[in-house]
Amino acid sequence: MSNNWEMVIGLEVHAQLKTSSKLFSSSPNLFGSEPNENVNFIDAGMPGMLPVLNWACIEKAIKTGFALNFTINKHSVFERKNYFYPDLPQGYQISQFEFPILSEGYLEIDQPDGNTKKIRIERAHLEQDAGKSIHDIDPKFSFIDLNRVGTPLLEIVSYPDLSSAEDVVNYMSSLRQTLMYIDVCDGNMQEGSLRADVNLSIRKPGGELGTRCEIKNLNSFKFIRQAIEFEFQRQIEVIESGGSVEQNTMLFDTSTGETRPMRSKEFSHDYRYFPDPDLLPVNLTDEQINQIKPSMEELPHQKIARYVSDYKIDKDISKIIIAEKENTILFEKMVNESDVNPKNIASWLVGDIFAFVKEKNLDVLNLLEYTKDITDLLKLISDDVISNKVGKEILPQVLEGKGKPNELVKKMGLEQVSNTDELEKIIDDALMGEEENIAKFQGGSDRVLGYFVGKCLKSTKGKGNPKLINKILLEKLKK
Amino acid sequence: MSEIDIKRISYLAKLKLPSEKEEFYSQSLVDIIQWVDNLKKIDTSNVKPLHNVTEATVSIRNDDIEKNNSTEDVLNNAPERAQNFFKVPKVVE
Repeated sequence: MSNNWEMVIGLEVHAQLKTSSKLFSSSPNLFGSEPNENVNFIDAGMPGMLPVLNWACIEKAIKTGFALNFTINKHSVFERKNYFYPDLPQGYQISQFEFPILSEGYLEIDQPDGNTKKIRIERAHLEQDAGKSIHDIDPKFSFIDLNRVGTPLLEIVSYPDLSSAEDVVNYMSSLRQTLMYIDVCDGNMQEGSLRADVNLSIRKPGGELGTRCEIKNLNSFKFIRQAIEFEFQRQIEVIESGGSVEQNTMLFDTSTGETRPMRSKEFSHDYRYFPDPDLLPVNLTDEQINQIKPSMEELPHQKIARYVSDYKIDKDISKIIIAEKENTILFEKMVNESDVNPKNIASWLVGDIFAFVKEKNLDVLNLLEYTKDITDLLKLISDDVISNKVGKEILPQVLEGKGKPNELVKKMGLEQVSNTDELEKIIDDALMGEEENIAKFQGGSDRVLGYFVGKCLKSTKGKGNPKLINKILLEKLKK
Repeated sequence: MSEIDIKRISYLAKLKLPSEKEEFYSQSLVDIIQWVDNLKKIDTSNVKPLHNVTEATVSIRNDDIEKNNSTEDVLNNAPERAQNFFKVPKVVE
């Protein structure tokens, strides 16, 4: 029961940047290595080690700036955020605070009514990730793996413009899609490449905003949805039973689906930010910023617009294709290397080809080596060499690389019968003894035509060219 | 100047203070801050914040991987280890 309460949500998304090395050290930025394999003395926070900024991280931040309509700040500053935790041996996280690299962007998300909603983004800043602690091996000790220390993160902080779990999931998935398209983040939520902190408060419509709670570190769409729904109900219950919501950092327990307070409240945290004396301010020139623009990949919404205007593909079908970047790579390769109508390619792609991919649990990119065979097959259909139905039958073999379409068609004897003489004979046979139905047709009953076409197709085992059969039939019937 | 909460400061700095020393350190900090507060006498309303005295911009490097230190090098400095992990007193929030 929501009793007319509404939720107000802002999101902090941490995106790990897809770079070879770390933000301030040349250790590999890799997931899944042996413990403490990708750690050097900088990452381990040894005294006297000097961080040196990885230019690729600045480039990726700038690309994000272009993609999400940010102001790209020519002046940004790395600061120290001080706290002690064993997974961050420096004793501080190098982050950006007062002067982030990106300010004031936005992202548009789709609404159920077909409209779009603009979600404003306050800022995005570069910072280091921390290591990983494992607490459940030993009752008295925690085990620390520092591989993740220093992994570059872009923290993207939205304004509280989101008002439902649905909004949040739409925003997050649109953000994920964009970052993957521009090659900034691999989007792998399971591996923690993209994680969200949810800030949620409640209010009555038009009423004053309540105290917010922050739910930390959600790494799947399912958990985000569950955590929001639970926390929303929890705050309503607190307020309706006469209490007040305390500002708190919450942890989402994935096994129970509940949120609970995380940090001890004995003392409030104070990060005592100050500019990191090891790092000079980042001062970018217009030239440095603008030279990144030409390397910008086409964004999802730009692709949809182009598919609709250049290829005349329906918006809904375009959306299905652009849902994953891999799909667009496959699709555009087929469009570029053949003269088959893109609209036709699109409808086969989202239909039979995706069904095949799903059924066989394939990576779409595996099909890249068969793109020519696929478009050849579509061409056989549009050239009336085979019927649509036969095309669908052959497709799986083409996708499995079992042969070239024209060979398969020959081998299986599936070529469409488009020989007029042959068809005339079949039609004559079909009309034999059908005087009654012929009379019906001539009396104005169009339905009989379908019956005759079906009869002819049946006797050609589906290989007769339906268009030709139709044409010849009409000629004969009208005589 | 605001009061010094010496308990909180030692908590944030992860330093254990014997209670008989609290008064001493508290007063020392007050003295230091009062001295630094002299800077407030200068009118800086028209001065932009300066993050570094040089005009230079940050040093950068290319995105290349180098392995400078081995896992052994790094774990040699661990007070305690368990296989290739650092082993530390339990910390759970």
